[in-house]
Amino acid sequence: MIRGLALLLLFTFCGKLFPAGESECGALESCAEYKADVHDLFSLQRGLGLFMNYCSSCHSLQYLRWNRLQKDLDIPENILKEDLILNPDIKNSDYMTFGLNNDDSTAWLGASAPDLTLRTRVRGESWVYTYLKSFYEDASRPLGSNNLVLQGSSMPHVLASLQGNQQLSMDGSIVKVSEGSLTDEQFDRSMKDLVNFLAYAAEPIRSDREKNGIFVILFFVIFTAVMWLLNREYSKDIK
Amino acid sequence: MSEKNNSFMNWLDKRFPVTENLERHLTKHPVPKKVNFFYIFGALLMVIFMVQVITGIWLMMFYTNTEEGAFASVEYIMRDVEYGWLMRYMHSTGASAFFFLMYFHMFRGLLYGSYQKPKELVWLFGCFLLFLLMAEGFLGYVLPWGQMSYWAANVILSLFGAIPVIGPDLQVWIQGDYVLSGATLSRFFALHVVVVPLLMIALVVFHIFALHEVGAGNPEGVDIEKHRDEKGMPLDGAPFHPYKTFSALPAIGIFFVIFFAIVFFAPEGGGYFLEKPNFEEADFLKTPEHIAPVWYYAPFYSILRAITFGILFLGITSKFLGFIIFAASIAILFVVPWLDRSKVQSIRYKGIYSKIGMILFAASFITLGYLGTKPVNELRTLIAQICTLLYFLPLILMPIYTKYEKTLEVPERL
Repeated sequence: MIRGLALLLLFTFCGKLFPAGESECGALESCAEYKADVHDLFSLQRGLGLFMNYCSSCHSLQYLRWNRLQKDLDIPENILKEDLILNPDIKNSDYMTFGLNNDDSTAWLGASAPDLTLRTRVRGESWVYTYLKSFYEDASRPLGSNNLVLQGSSMPHVLASLQGNQQLSMDGSIVKVSEGSLTDEQFDRSMKDLVNFLAYAAEPIRSDREKNGIFVILFFVIFTAVMWLLNREYSKDIK
Repeated sequence: MSEKNNSFMNWLDKRFPVTENLERHLTKHPVPKKVNFFYIFGALLMVIFMVQVITGIWLMMFYTNTEEGAFASVEYIMRDVEYGWLMRYMHSTGASAFFFLMYFHMFRGLLYGSYQKPKELVWLFGCFLLFLLMAEGFLGYVLPWGQMSYWAANVILSLFGAIPVIGPDLQVWIQGDYVLSGATLSRFFALHVVVVPLLMIALVVFHIFALHEVGAGNPEGVDIEKHRDEKGMPLDGAPFHPYKTFSALPAIGIFFVIFFAIVFFAPEGGGYFLEKPNFEEADFLKTPEHIAPVWYYAPFYSILRAITFGILFLGITSKFLGFIIFAASIAILFVVPWLDRSKVQSIRYKGIYSKIGMILFAASFITLGYLGTKPVNELRTLIAQICTLLYFLPLILMPIYTKYEKTLEVPERL
């Protein structure tokens, strides 16, 4: 009896200690887990393509330079100049600032489109990945779309032509009502590419960091081993 | 020292006491032979202090201490400065490591009575160092000028504003402006890179000089000075160099393995070392939903938030009372040497009340730390209040239980 009561008390306490209302994913209970892979060069390039085609008319990457992108993503000079930068006045060493200015964006969409350079580090990769897939049609919104992860988001569903249209069902989940140009698997892969690219943009060194860290650690493992042996010799004197 | 015959050393020693000091602090300074794991944190703290100073100097070369430029200059360091990212991650991870080591180092002190007569000053200098480290960490956290930098600093600065009568003026004086602004940022930069580190270096020197005067302790609480060999070296002791220096090196190696594993593979520390909102530039129009301190302030922040009541007839608001209790939670550590009336040093030979007290103290500190990183609700506030009580009780009651509890006999030798 007492044990039962104690258990009950514990459960009610735990329930309050970890309330359900603290989901980081808005109306969703939790975000779909996704950890970006910044080592997949082709995925990063595909992600860059998606970004340039679908995001860059509103969002900038104000801390990323064109030539850094060129070097890290292995982009030929002519493609960078002719297909990505487009504007001859922009130098390779300039930052990737384009898109809407804040005043226009606020006038047309109701909010300024945030710079995306560090967005995956602010929100988390799982959040961005889930957000991109959680748009649905909502006639009550000025631009006709809403998002489960960020309710009342000012961003329209720009990826609808790829994903198809989605609506909210009675139970609050999302159902697809029309097909886009990509299948579900293709769209999912594309969003992963896009998140990978954004994660790269947030921290261009990440791939190198994760590749080279092991050597630094290895050095200190060997250092520890040598010092341990040395110390063993010294400590024999004072046994 | 063999260099005695060396004419250069002779020349030098006549003008500057090199050999004398080397012998006094290194080659002839006796330290206990047998100590445990807890005794390595002091050495590691020296190492991490050096890491912070060196990486800090590099960061300072590229950082811009203005409201407009600070945030972008950090991204510049992360992207355009060669190995700037490494310096920055080492510095940010180093801050967390510094506190982690500091807390263990102090817990060791509490466990084995490293504050007892005649080590009161060693402990006192150490407590000042904790206070300075907390100030240093706070000032440094403002510099990247992210959302959490701005709003967490706002919370802390508003505490000064809660002091009756002089509060509001004091806050403006500290901020250098009516709101937290670029004026605050640049003075915090000056304090972070010059004033506080200078004070810390001075106190580290005092801490070590005082320690070398009274001798290092050991987990048994045995006085090694009692039994000496014919040369005057304690039988249970060994010269600091080479024995302790070389025994510290493998530990430093292991520390760096863990340290660099975090720097290279998890520099954000799961959002606890570098908080997510801090990747967004400070915006004084947009308060983050949940302002969480970095983990190392969380226990104290929890104490601050736990005080939801004031003493109204005295004109003390709950916020000001919170500030008082929060300050007291650090201040009480300073007087621990005078609270402990025990005949023995080490927890191993102290009585049951000391042991229970130490467990309660540690458990409440960790629980407060956990709660401090979470948003508040009624239950969490209640638990934080209980833990605040349990944090203070073992220390406040210490003079009573340490005086009357039964202690065990301390052995003669280590």
